[in-house]
Amino acid sequence: MLLPKFDYHQPRDLPAACGLLAELGPEARVIAGGTDLLVNLKHGRIRPKALVGLERLEELTGLDSGRGRLFIGARTSAAHLAASRSLGGGLRLLAQAAGQLGSPQVRNRATIGGNLCTARPAAELPPPLLCLDARALLAGPQGQREVALSAFFKGPGLTVLGPDEIMRGVVIPRPGLGGGGAYLKLGLRRAMEISLVNVAAFLQLAPDGRTIAQARVALGAVAPTPILSPRAAQALIGQRAGDKLFAAAAEAAARDARPIDDHRGSAAYRRDMVRVLARRALEQAWDQARGRRGGKS
Amino acid sequence: MAAKYDVLGSRAPRLDAPDKATGRARFADDLNLPGQLYGALLQSPHAHARIKRIDVSRARRLRGVKAVLTGQDLPPILYGVSPARYDEEVLARDKVRHVGDDVAAVAAVDLETALEAVGLIQVEYEPLPALLTAEQALAEGAPAIHDLFPGNLCAEVHQEFGDVAAAFKQCHLIRSGRMVNKMQDGAFLEPNACIAEFDRRGNLTLYSSTQAPHYVQRTAAMVLGLNMSQVRVVKPYVGGGFGPKAAATPLELAACFLARRSGRPVKMGFTREQVFLFSRARHQFFHEMKIGVAKDGTFLALEHRCTLDGGAYSSFGIATVYYAGSLLGGPYRLPNMRYDGWRVFTNKPACGAQRGHGGVIARALFEQQLDLIAQELGQDPIALRLQNTMQAGDVTCNDLNMSSLGMRECLQAVGDGSGWRGKRGRLPRGKGIGMASGFFVSGAGYPIYRSETYHATVTVKVQEDGGGVKVLTGAAEIGQGSDTAMAMIAAEALGIPLRDVRVESGDTDLGVDLGAYSSRTTLMTGHATKEAAEDAREQILQALAEELGVVRGRLSIRRGRVKIAGGPVDIGPLRGRYLKEHRGWTDQPTGRELSFREAARVAYLRQGTIVGTGKYKPPPLGGEYKGAAVGTSPAYGCSAQVAEVSVDLETGQVFVERITDAHDCGQAVNRTSVEGQMEGSVSMGLGEALFEEVKFDSKGRVLNPSLGEYHIPTIMDMPQMKCIVVESNEPNGPYGAKEVGEGAIMPTIPAILNAVYDATGAVIDELPLTPERVLAAIKKAGQNKKGGRRKG
Repeated sequence: MLLPKFDYHQPRDLPAACGLLAELGPEARVIAGGTDLLVNLKHGRIRPKALVGLERLEELTGLDSGRGRLFIGARTSAAHLAASRSLGGGLRLLAQAAGQLGSPQVRNRATIGGNLCTARPAAELPPPLLCLDARALLAGPQGQREVALSAFFKGPGLTVLGPDEIMRGVVIPRPGLGGGGAYLKLGLRRAMEISLVNVAAFLQLAPDGRTIAQARVALGAVAPTPILSPRAAQALIGQRAGDKLFAAAAEAAARDARPIDDHRGSAAYRRDMVRVLARRALEQAWDQARGRRGGKS
Repeated sequence: MAAKYDVLGSRAPRLDAPDKATGRARFADDLNLPGQLYGALLQSPHAHARIKRIDVSRARRLRGVKAVLTGQDLPPILYGVSPARYDEEVLARDKVRHVGDDVAAVAAVDLETALEAVGLIQVEYEPLPALLTAEQALAEGAPAIHDLFPGNLCAEVHQEFGDVAAAFKQCHLIRSGRMVNKMQDGAFLEPNACIAEFDRRGNLTLYSSTQAPHYVQRTAAMVLGLNMSQVRVVKPYVGGGFGPKAAATPLELAACFLARRSGRPVKMGFTREQVFLFSRARHQFFHEMKIGVAKDGTFLALEHRCTLDGGAYSSFGIATVYYAGSLLGGPYRLPNMRYDGWRVFTNKPACGAQRGHGGVIARALFEQQLDLIAQELGQDPIALRLQNTMQAGDVTCNDLNMSSLGMRECLQAVGDGSGWRGKRGRLPRGKGIGMASGFFVSGAGYPIYRSETYHATVTVKVQEDGGGVKVLTGAAEIGQGSDTAMAMIAAEALGIPLRDVRVESGDTDLGVDLGAYSSRTTLMTGHATKEAAEDAREQILQALAEELGVVRGRLSIRRGRVKIAGGPVDIGPLRGRYLKEHRGWTDQPTGRELSFREAARVAYLRQGTIVGTGKYKPPPLGGEYKGAAVGTSPAYGCSAQVAEVSVDLETGQVFVERITDAHDCGQAVNRTSVEGQMEGSVSMGLGEALFEEVKFDSKGRVLNPSLGEYHIPTIMDMPQMKCIVVESNEPNGPYGAKEVGEGAIMPTIPAILNAVYDATGAVIDELPLTPERVLAAIKKAGQNKKGGRRKG
């Protein structure tokens, strides 16, 4: 297993990096943690002439809160997210998901930007970020644009990211009190696992502590891209939280799933598991929104 | 009670631990020789195809390429594992039989160039129908994968012991069941790697990551047309084998041919994907069993059929198809047993031996059925097994002699150790407890090729300064701890501390040793080591006796000191000579007793280098029937396990939470290593029970050839383990020792299956227990018996 030959560029800032991408064209690939890219290079699945390393781009680092929004730099590692104190309360589901990504070694290398831009249907971080209404910050030669994450994914491995664009990070509106979420994944083993199904759920309770003001349920590995379940959200919003409601919303989420049969599992099983995981995730999200710890696992 | 032994049974730190813990241990891929080339293989993209034409001209012309070989360049010699079934070529001549079959080999100045050259070789294939299942391969009119084997039947076995038909008529209860597993991968951490080098006199040295240097040496000599004495195989540290590294590989043989052709050392290695494509790991077994018992639960008869999907070559498969039947002869009394087995060629990577060779899935089904029988009889599963277990001295219906057998002790130990009585039948739905037993050979009774060879020869050389000894053996330390075990046995036999023993091993120049397979090393190489050490000890004591003028019988060595029985003897003159020889040294011997060092030194001064030799081969074993050799062993280890699981009734996920494991290894040599083997076996069995499956697409390509997608357990998946070492005294083992390496895996899968049944009421007859499969079985069980079993 050898890496093919390629030129390696280390631009000093974002404009230079985007300029370089524009100049190099489709023969260039961006590399951050490399947990996906290096594997694909070694297997000969891609043969870029140049790699553009992001390690010098300070614009892509940091977790900053301001004006009710949290910015997470694209180079932030999964390990950092998993341990971050900035991801408490209603943001905890993102840390939960990051902590289940790959192995400790992979988490040290893998970045949030990479996990989003590779656009794998079963990726760990899209469901919680979709639930948190995250927006992607995309920098290009003409400046920066903001895209809702729900509009970011186009298919397996495909996104709206232009060939000369680099993801700078994501921004998440900070949930207020009464916000809670959970992330659950189903795989064969307890670690280093590609999800058969993963589900994130987020609930924002109204001040009465019972009515659901806002809700999102996101699903992974059951469609060409990670998706939000509109039916689940519709079933939840404006309703009073409770087990029956969650079961109905989970049922609705299963209807939004469009899984396929593959060697990891059947479509029917995946759809069933969306129902189970969505219900459990909603129960846990509710527990958290109400300030209760734990819940059923 | 005073310990019987000074060294054996202790928790000695392993000899290889410092090197491995600090990253200094050198594995085959760490070795580099001056002027070495790098080899690469061109492998078939087709599962089954005729080779019409190979054009290597562009590869040969590539700058930096030093040798390109195809099957046409090699002598037309077939090799394999069993001489009766030699069916492999180093490089395919006329046809390829699985995706990954080797077609051409290249050596170049660097790996990049070698890989580029491989890409320049053009092969014209005529695809043939790919036979990917045993059913397809056995179908009427299916093309023959090997001309030698029309009908694609590699081997068949038909055995009957006792009178099965008559016995079934006496049975109160008869149960039938089936079980199918999936093809496994050995998933050892170190992919195969090697370097081959010829000297200018035509002698070959092959450094290779192998379990069996002797068989590799023999195969290489045969295929290359050399004498065995011209071939030296050296095994550096090896990162696991588990069976698939127990025979010569096309990688090793291609490296030898490339080295000979190029005149330079050639280094080669498999990628992880190539490890999957080479395989030689656990077969897929289709078992069907009918078991009959008397009213009181006495086992009376077993009728057993098994089909093995063998893949493209015989490999170890002849032994596998026999083991699949013979390893049900024990550990319970079973007077009547019929077995019909078929091993079938298919266009997939060849399967071979893997930990628990041939017996693991048979054991899984058998033990699962025993639990169901116990339930129907209203008996406790442990009690049923205790009632039927054999004891030391019993001989199975297929002539396997249980010369020691701590089966009863193991069953009682796991029952007590797990709190079985308080848990079985008392856990809430979704929680379950189950158990199973098993036994395994402690070294195959016969070599793989028919021969009267010793199975192990060992030399113990006493260092001339007297300061210690060196054990020289061809035995293969592959991570299982054999170097340490041999050092401990030598230390015990010589009466010296372990630190005074060094081991050089894994080199065919050091002696004959059949290798690390069939759980043979502790018993067989252990015997030879003990004999060699005793020989050296005798020579030393004889020389010392003459020197002191006492009879030999008065002298012994213990803990590095010479003991002289029967009254005082003046050791002054002898010590004086030693002290004079060592003026200025700071560690002079003191005290009233002579040290081993002084004794060994004086022996050397008297007669030159002291060399003890030892050898071992089992006595003739087994019955007279066809295939009676497979399953024979001088001794058998046995074990029992209790598994406690938690099943997610909505997702079907199975979590193994605790395993209580008891294994009878005879006298434990290194207690910590025994427990390590038990834990490793559970890890492997758990992976096989829950996760592991090599998957193929419709064209015979492996879908998951990486450890990312072929799931072996992580540390997060390991249960809490309680290891209980049961020590019977094996009369045929060195110091009473026998195996633990493979037998320990036998109960794991059925214990988990039985625990899942206890938790859910689902009888599952297909492995692995993926959540989807378990959930489907739970639903089915719920429909069959409303609300499940007694835990509704």
